[in-house]
Amino acid sequence: MALVQEQEIAGDGCVSETILELKEATIKFGGLTAVNKVSFVLNRGDLFGLIGPNGAGKTTCFNLITGVYRPTSGDIEFKGKVINGFAPNKIATLGICRTFQNIRLFGALSARENVMVGANLRSKTVMPSSFWLLPPVIRETDEMRAKAEHLLEVVGLKEDMSTRSADLSYGEQRRLEIARAMATDPELILLDEPAAGMNPLEKETLQKVVRRIRDEFSMTVLLIEHDMRFVMGLCERIVVLDHGEEIAQGPPESIRSNPKVIEAYLGEAATH
Amino acid sequence: MKFWGTRLGSIVLAVAGCYLLQTIFQGNPGMNRLVVLACLWVTLSVSLNLINGITGQFSIGHAGFWMTGAYISGVIMKFQPQLKSMPAMQLLLLMMLIAFIGTGIMGLLVGLPSLRLKGDYLAIVTLGFGEILRIVVNASEPIGGSYGLFVEPKVNSIFIAAMLAVITIAACRNLLQTAHGLEFLSVREDEVASQAMGVNNTTIKVVAFVIGAAFAGAAGAVFAHLEGFISPTSFPMAFSFIVLTMVVLGGTGSITGSVVAAIVLFAIPEYLRGMSVNGEPLRFTLAGFVAFAIAGIGALALAKYTQDRVHDSKGKLIRYIGAVVGAIVVTGVFAAIFRNIPALGGKEIGVDQIRYVIFSLVLIAVMLLRPQGVFGHHEFGWHWFKSKKSQETVA
Ligand SMILES: Nc1ncnc2c1ncn2[C@@H]1O[C@H](COP(=O)(O)OP(=O)(O)O)[C@@H](O)[C@H]1O
Ligand SMILES: [Mg+2]
Repeated sequence: MALVQEQEIAGDGCVSETILELKEATIKFGGLTAVNKVSFVLNRGDLFGLIGPNGAGKTTCFNLITGVYRPTSGDIEFKGKVINGFAPNKIATLGICRTFQNIRLFGALSARENVMVGANLRSKTVMPSSFWLLPPVIRETDEMRAKAEHLLEVVGLKEDMSTRSADLSYGEQRRLEIARAMATDPELILLDEPAAGMNPLEKETLQKVVRRIRDEFSMTVLLIEHDMRFVMGLCERIVVLDHGEEIAQGPPESIRSNPKVIEAYLGEAATH
Repeated sequence: MKFWGTRLGSIVLAVAGCYLLQTIFQGNPGMNRLVVLACLWVTLSVSLNLINGITGQFSIGHAGFWMTGAYISGVIMKFQPQLKSMPAMQLLLLMMLIAFIGTGIMGLLVGLPSLRLKGDYLAIVTLGFGEILRIVVNASEPIGGSYGLFVEPKVNSIFIAAMLAVITIAACRNLLQTAHGLEFLSVREDEVASQAMGVNNTTIKVVAFVIGAAFAGAAGAVFAHLEGFISPTSFPMAFSFIVLTMVVLGGTGSITGSVVAAIVLFAIPEYLRGMSVNGEPLRFTLAGFVAFAIAGIGALALAKYTQDRVHDSKGKLIRYIGAVVGAIVVTGVFAAIFRNIPALGGKEIGVDQIRYVIFSLVLIAVMLLRPQGVFGHHEFGWHWFKSKKSQETVA
């Protein structure tokens, strides 16, 4: 209850609008239940963290939300509409876009072109008109290029716009993925371990970028991260998964002191 | 407006170029046919490049679509002979349009089920499609069966064939100038990611496949009216592989590469066929040929070694020259030796057979030394004459 009050204060006193809701979402792969009855609610404008030890089912949650898998049971609602099993491209069109933990860029394309693929989702021209290179298509492509360049600037890739994305460094590729997802104008952006493999300095810059995504671009952010310090310093609310089950939910302070969470992470530390 | 200026300029330039090609070669009947055929091969390889190179769908049945277009036009002429009263050029254009649409529909029928599946289904289905089509036509007596079909009237127009090639190139190039073109490339690069960015992969693949097939079909109509006679043997499976070779060799995805590779690979055997010594057509003995193959493989091995292990540019140059000179010398020496072997000495082989061996050698060479194809992902453009900085697809 305290949580709801906090939300209301953050949202200028008005009741926040629910943007995404998982209702006992479950998926089984054969005998393995990768995600087991996970429920949480994201309000518009949230900066939400999804954490848990390796193999907890975080990425699988993203795959459920973005339509890569259909939940075995339970529901996923986006803006009040059930989106279970929609095709991933349909879900992107509805306004959810993601990055990938194992980076998936269009390697042979430049950084700018990668972002333009995302921007093209909101194209207002029809594809056949590009065979004739009609003026509206050219104009639109120019607009998308400008938009891509702006987003690349936001994530700090201004210098590398024309570089083949496969030739970028690991940290740069992660930031490029964020820019590409942002280009689809999502209302909800899902970031899968955006800080993985980054040095402390890069992580600090990334925190600023993520805050900007929420504050300046008014997207709701759901992010998976392994680095506890990164999440605690960034997210306002956190869900913790372990073995596919939700073990805690709440603001960072309560998560940090939650014995179940400490146990789950200690368990992981012990196995390493 | 700058846009309409450049647009009009390129159209005028293209039409003038095709017309020039026609005036240069019109007088020479032999060359005339070759130039038309070259234009058709360019059309085929550029249209297959849209499917294989740009969209990344491994299709290997392009000769089947070529054949579809040719037969559409042949069958219409057989059953609607009154069309012959039309002026030849208009008739050809009409036939090309019908073949374009008809073959596009055929592409939809072949592509829709197989493109929805992931993996190599498309390769298997397209390969099968070409073969099944040949067998079906072979057995269909009303359309000539295995004997074949006369297509009247014979129309021979460099201008139209060249325009077809130019339009195919322009369509692909225009597409790649826009953000929509990036959708096709993104499907090639990573289907999971492209779908996550909202690209409907199936739609993109089907569009590429249908358009690629349609252009091949239009080329088929031109071919049918050029030859005046078509039969199932006019479209062997080997043609599919030759088109594929052109695409791969030129650099998958590079339109420039597809054009250059199509012209070069079409010209080599034609050139060899035309070569003569003292008025006698050139003959190739099996002995010489085996020697050439051995020397070629040796030279390739040396070139590959040089590329991987030698790092100073002078050493590289010397070894590359050595590989070429060595290959020539070894060919000569071995040919002289093999001549005395009864099994090799007396036999002669035709240019057509040599073509396939040369293709294989060239293909092996490119795969070893430059796996991305001669042009890689690069395109010819005005930037070649300016700074070489921009190498992006979208201008
Ligand atoms: N497609 C799949 N088939 C079978 N098992 C899967 C599949 N996807 C994920 N899993 C399993 O689900 C569990 C959770 O994985 P994941 O969501 O990737 O964990 P993480 O929290 O580290 O992102 C793992 O045990 C993984 O092996
Ligand atoms: Mg994961």
